[in-house]
Amino acid sequence: MNKITHPIEPEELMAYLDGELPADRATATAAHLGECTECQSLISDLRGVSEALGSWKVVTPELQIPQAIAAARSESKPEPTRNGGTKALTWREILGVRWQNAEWIGVVAVVLLVVVGTVRFIGGNANNVFSQVQPSISETNSSANRDQMAVRASQEVRPPATSAEGKPPVNFGASQRDKSVVAREAVVNGPMIIRTAQLSLITKEFDQARTALEVALKRHRGYVGDLKIGGATGSGRTLNATLRVPADQLDATLSELKALGRVESESQSGQDVTSQYVDLQARLANARNTEQRLTDLLRNRTGKLSDVLEVEQEVDRVRGEIEQMEAERKNMSNQVSYATLNATITEDYKAQLQVVPPSTSTRLSNAAVEGYKSMVDGLVSVALFLLENGPSLLLWIAILFLPARLVWKKARRSFAQ
Amino acid sequence: MAPTTISDEALMLEFQGGSREAFEQLFARYRGPLYGYFRRRLNGDQRAEDLTQDTFLAVIRAVDRYEPRALFRTYLYSIGMNLLAAERRKQHRDSPPVTPAPEPATHGAPDAALWVRQALEKLDESEREILMLREYEQLSYAEIAELLKLPVNTVRSRLFRSRMALRGYLEPARKLHDAAGQSEAPEGVKLAGAEGEAI
Repeated sequence: MNKITHPIEPEELMAYLDGELPADRATATAAHLGECTECQSLISDLRGVSEALGSWKVVTPELQIPQAIAAARSESKPEPTRNGGTKALTWREILGVRWQNAEWIGVVAVVLLVVVGTVRFIGGNANNVFSQVQPSISETNSSANRDQMAVRASQEVRPPATSAEGKPPVNFGASQRDKSVVAREAVVNGPMIIRTAQLSLITKEFDQARTALEVALKRHRGYVGDLKIGGATGSGRTLNATLRVPADQLDATLSELKALGRVESESQSGQDVTSQYVDLQARLANARNTEQRLTDLLRNRTGKLSDVLEVEQEVDRVRGEIEQMEAERKNMSNQVSYATLNATITEDYKAQLQVVPPSTSTRLSNAAVEGYKSMVDGLVSVALFLLENGPSLLLWIAILFLPARLVWKKARRSFAQ
Repeated sequence: MAPTTISDEALMLEFQGGSREAFEQLFARYRGPLYGYFRRRLNGDQRAEDLTQDTFLAVIRAVDRYEPRALFRTYLYSIGMNLLAAERRKQHRDSPPVTPAPEPATHGAPDAALWVRQALEKLDESEREILMLREYEQLSYAEIAELLKLPVNTVRSRLFRSRMALRGYLEPARKLHDAAGQSEAPEGVKLAGAEGEAI
């Protein structure tokens, strides 16, 4: 397997089967699995291994809760035992009547759940039934269906092991449980594509083209996101506009704009954001569930002030996340429903030949100005040279003056002789 | 409406506050899984029962010191793991090793899962432990990582390796098992089954 043909690592496939992948990767994995037989085969092998391991079952004996638990609870010191550790009590002697009752209550509760679940399932609320009944099954460890391993693992209540501050973990595991369910429930009608087009035109009738552009935009219920017109003297004008038109009107708008001049370049692109949108919806729904649960917790439970404050902080944090995700979702929806069209219209400019030469007086005055400028530039250059090199020149003159003078005197004397 | 299930940690805190019912619920939840944990790793169901009971008694005795910093499940299995390590040390000291109990650990046919156990025995010890914690105790990657003091990525890669290795071991073992099932199982296989009831 390589990354080009298999964007999902084999370990990720296994984690997907175990329900241990984050929602975005799980969505990508599910999509890849739908079309890759090699990965399907690996998944099938992994399932086979789990099923084979499942054949090793252990029969739990009739273990009973120790009667001595109450006593042990009140004792401060452990009792000596035959192994030097804690005392091993027989299960029979510690049988409690209450436990027998609890077993019966558990059986009745499971039967009731199944009945209620079936009624609601028939009533067409199948998804709710699964999201409510499934956790209770997994928590009582009675689920043995290995084929549903991924679903079970993601739905099982597994809160984070330890909070960063070492505080007692608040049971947010349900949000993990809901995530995969909501992700599956999130239904998007068709693919969500962010469409972008670019069009570059050259026209002789610039003003008419601009008016026609505005009319076309109005007709197709679009709007101008950004518009700039500019152009230097001696060249044609250019209009740069970012237009937003309803996605289904993009093709019609483009056709109309293309008729305004000669097309210099045109391009279109589409970005599929279906999976991101589904993931965002799922995260949003989970965050709302979490907020609801936290609010219920605040309303119904009493506890230490520090715990209450901690929950309130958590509520604030979750609300912030919800607002952020809501804005992101709206932005994405807007981008999908309105396509972006970057239009550039350039004027086909005809340069005029300049036939009138400048007058003699103007040329004389220009020459005088140029002459003055070059004289000043020369003086400034000399001054700059002296300022930059004068000190070092003086130094060398001072150093070389006496030797040069001696040489000069000797030379003159010998010449005189 | 789904019934609200109290978390293990909340039950443990209630038990800390003196509620016996809370402990009974925890006991009901974990007696089977914990017994299975010991039974699959030890020879003899009596020792598995004793150690299961010892684990719960350890929980009771340490209840005053309990702080819900981690999942109760991880806490419980970490106690179990320590007791299991002590038991193995003890068995190692006492030679000859404890004779395995005659009762098989499996449900149904005595050697129904013999080939699975034999395949598991071939795995590296740490990989086997991770695989068993995942498959039988159904712990999450994070829980296994915390229990074995390993990074989660290591747990994931070892788990993958062990499953892939097991896939290779199981195929010939399954064929052998099927062949033995069609004709009468050879004597050697039966003996191996009696010895290999725990890993």
